[in-house]
Amino acid sequence: MPAIVLDGVSRLYGSNVRAVSDLSLEIPDGSFTTLLGPSGCGKTTTLRMIAGLDSPTYGTIRIGDKIAFSLEDATSLPPSKRGLGLVFQSYALWPHLTVAKNISFGLEVQKVGKAEIAQRLEKVAAALQIDQLLGRYTSELSGGQQQRVAIARVLIMEPSVLLLDEPLSNLDATLRMDMRAELKRLHNDTGATILYVTHDQLEALTMSTHIALLQNGELQQFAPPLDVYAQPANEFAADFLGNPRINLIEGRIEGGRILCGGLDLPLPDGVSSGESGPVKLGLRAEELRLHRQAGPGMVPVQVTSVLPTGSDWYYQVRLNAQTITIRQNDPPHLKEGEEVFLAAHPDTLKLFATSGKALVSSVPEVAGAEA
Amino acid sequence: MRTAYNRFRMSLTPQRILSVLFIIGLGYLVIVPLFLMLRETFIVHPLERFQIPGSQVGELTLAHWKRTLFSENAYAFFYHPLLNTLKIAFGMSFLALAIGALLAWLVVRTDMPMKGFIANAAIIPYIMPSWTLALAWITLFKNERIGGDQGIFSALTGIETPDWFAYGTFPIIITLSLHYFPFGFMLIGGALRNIDAQLEESAELLGASRPTILRRIVMPLALPAIFSTFLLTFSRGLGTFGTPAFLGGPVREFVLSTSLYANLIGQRPGIGYIAAVAMILLGVLVLYMDHKIIGTRRSFVTISGKGARAGLVALGRWRWVIAAGVVIFILGTIVVPICALAIDTVMLRPGIYAWENFTWHYWIGDASLNIGLGTGEPGILRNSQLMSALGNTMKLAVVVAVVTGILGILVGYAIVRMRGNWISQALDQMSFLPYLMPSIALGAIFLAMFAVPRGPIPSLHGSFLLLVIVCTVSYLPYAVKAGVSAMRQIGPELEEAALMAGASWWTRMRRVMIPVQKSTYFSGMLLPFISVTRELSLLILLVTPATQLATTITLRYTDRGWYPYTNGMVLLLIIIVVTSTVISRRVMGTNIAKGLGG
Repeated sequence: MPAIVLDGVSRLYGSNVRAVSDLSLEIPDGSFTTLLGPSGCGKTTTLRMIAGLDSPTYGTIRIGDKIAFSLEDATSLPPSKRGLGLVFQSYALWPHLTVAKNISFGLEVQKVGKAEIAQRLEKVAAALQIDQLLGRYTSELSGGQQQRVAIARVLIMEPSVLLLDEPLSNLDATLRMDMRAELKRLHNDTGATILYVTHDQLEALTMSTHIALLQNGELQQFAPPLDVYAQPANEFAADFLGNPRINLIEGRIEGGRILCGGLDLPLPDGVSSGESGPVKLGLRAEELRLHRQAGPGMVPVQVTSVLPTGSDWYYQVRLNAQTITIRQNDPPHLKEGEEVFLAAHPDTLKLFATSGKALVSSVPEVAGAEA
Repeated sequence: MRTAYNRFRMSLTPQRILSVLFIIGLGYLVIVPLFLMLRETFIVHPLERFQIPGSQVGELTLAHWKRTLFSENAYAFFYHPLLNTLKIAFGMSFLALAIGALLAWLVVRTDMPMKGFIANAAIIPYIMPSWTLALAWITLFKNERIGGDQGIFSALTGIETPDWFAYGTFPIIITLSLHYFPFGFMLIGGALRNIDAQLEESAELLGASRPTILRRIVMPLALPAIFSTFLLTFSRGLGTFGTPAFLGGPVREFVLSTSLYANLIGQRPGIGYIAAVAMILLGVLVLYMDHKIIGTRRSFVTISGKGARAGLVALGRWRWVIAAGVVIFILGTIVVPICALAIDTVMLRPGIYAWENFTWHYWIGDASLNIGLGTGEPGILRNSQLMSALGNTMKLAVVVAVVTGILGILVGYAIVRMRGNWISQALDQMSFLPYLMPSIALGAIFLAMFAVPRGPIPSLHGSFLLLVIVCTVSYLPYAVKAGVSAMRQIGPELEEAALMAGASWWTRMRRVMIPVQKSTYFSGMLLPFISVTRELSLLILLVTPATQLATTITLRYTDRGWYPYTNGMVLLLIIIVVTSTVISRRVMGTNIAKGLGG
């Protein structure tokens, strides 16, 4: 059984602001699902509706075997009855309580016995390595420690689903790396379903088992992260994932070939050779290469900037009046102004119609909606 | 249809129901009085039957408006008090602003010594009842021509003070500005403190001199705070009652508030209520100006400073001289009036300042018709009437502080949580309305509203409860403001985290929302507490012998010329207020500036 099912969920503010629009999604049990999208895409609103802190204007939400929200049944389970734990972006630790009191608050409210609280507190504190901090106030903790306390406060309630709202956005870069690994480990250890909200595509790619990509309140794609990366459902999905951003180059299909600023590529399977007209070609930086010697299918270009990062070299060239980024991690090391030749070796061809939709239909456009 | 019904049913959360109850309650206590007040200006009151020939009690009439605005007495009834009110409000606002801004600049921006002491002491004049200074002025400067006895000044120097100096507009402006300059000190000081030092440093790097920076950078940035200080002081000046009553009364110089009172307790309530309406309109005008001039620019002062403090202006060898001057000035506004009042309470026969005349009679003496003023009253500390009035004041202050404090939290909570909703807007605006109503008029309306039983509400006339209600309504704007700002600081997540943990609304309030902002809430309660101890105009019409308060009984004694009793009571009030402010600051970390309506 899926852990969470959203069915036609919309959230309107006023009469015409649609924060979330007709969202249908099945979040698999035990998955690490990420709601990904730019700010204002409706991801946090979706999370809050699942948590019960906000109510949909239309639609139904099921959590496990329970109906959490349904307008038809006049049902709206209070947040604490949904079996969820929510870690807030700001952590929302209570500054007037000690770490121990923060963590045990929920159990105290539920009138759990003192002995059991102490035992569960000890266990969760040990698991998150905060047992030394229990007597402190939250203002005396570092960002990473506050984060652990916030997670401990939720885990002690033993929720079946853990909701995380941009939990890493307040941490510095190095700490963020550590916490990513730790959250992944947490997912493996507890086996709980995790629903994670972020605008950081790297977090989504590194941690999740599934990504639900949202824009303007609408679901764009729901698939495992590498599928979204390799076979984006549309231009937006292609553009949002990946660093550096994907190169989107204007071109045409003509005579069964893709012609694009001098590049000449074969049509992929699934696109009929009879088709012709303008398209957009998506090429990721690692799918392009610069050569000093000319070869078949290559285009002459001039290097406009060289940006070494230590492990990789990023080059920028001009093609079709557009700036194209190429990533290489081996020689030749080129210099600015050098005249070279550009070749494309796409793993999967990402072709988009002028509407933005992917032309290659090997991946269902919205996987979740059909399930 | 069914989903619409379901949606409505599901939206009935306890918070929402509570908020709607608040709206109904506030509607009855705030909107209804406003309409009643307006209606009173159009009907014939029992005593006015004879002034308006051929009229019946309760009839609609335009006579009050005609008499107030167009009759031959219109100048005395209305225009003269109006002019006086404006003169006083403008004069004292400018003076208070100048003093407050100068002090704020000296404390925040110069290397003047003794800043800590000055910053703390500069707030005390505001904590003392505003008419303390008025009473002290009378004690110091009254002249024989009107008051009967001489003041201390004349007794010591032999110089008779002229009337314009002893009574009327001039001393009213002086004493009010000495009471209200702490507004400017606190608000402008806060604004100066918040100006990002980097803004000044960049000007300095571009070659601007200190005076240029002050004139072109600091002043414009502090301008919104200066304007809002001015308007805040101005609106207080419009509504003030005690000071013009004490200083204007002897020479029959009326302002709108005192003319309102005189007409209400006299035989012209209709004209009195017109004065109230005029005061409300002036208040609305001030609000409108506030909105127009400052509304869009208020954000200037919220720029929070980062980095190092801007360099302080070096006062050079003058720094100690200036500090001494400031200390003398502030102590002068605190110590001199208190001493003047104290001396007056230990002089057996008024106006004779000599050692032979020294007595404890007015504090601990027996009732006597022969000693001193021959009042037949026992000394203050043995006077059961005065002591029970003081007890009532304390009881009322504590009850009102707690009630308005809690109400402020709850209404503030509703306003912040339902932001964007009509409920939030309605509560926000309704809770602000009492701010516009002159307190003397509010008292009069509550007297009319609760004198007789209405529907399920019994007559509350003469009850302690009525005093609590009217004070609560009157101080609600401040309490709600404190509640709103406290709730804004908390942010919704802290409560939602408790909600996720399964805490009920009551548990959330009790264990999270209130403890988190404890000191802000106590600051919100401190202001009503202090205000009640010195409240005069709001309650003067509502007290009965059983519910007599320290302030209202004081006014009664003043009317009889029994100044030693009056002054003694004021001294006791000052001691109580200052001690409780200091204690609550030590114990709860309260800050009077936080509760101050900006």
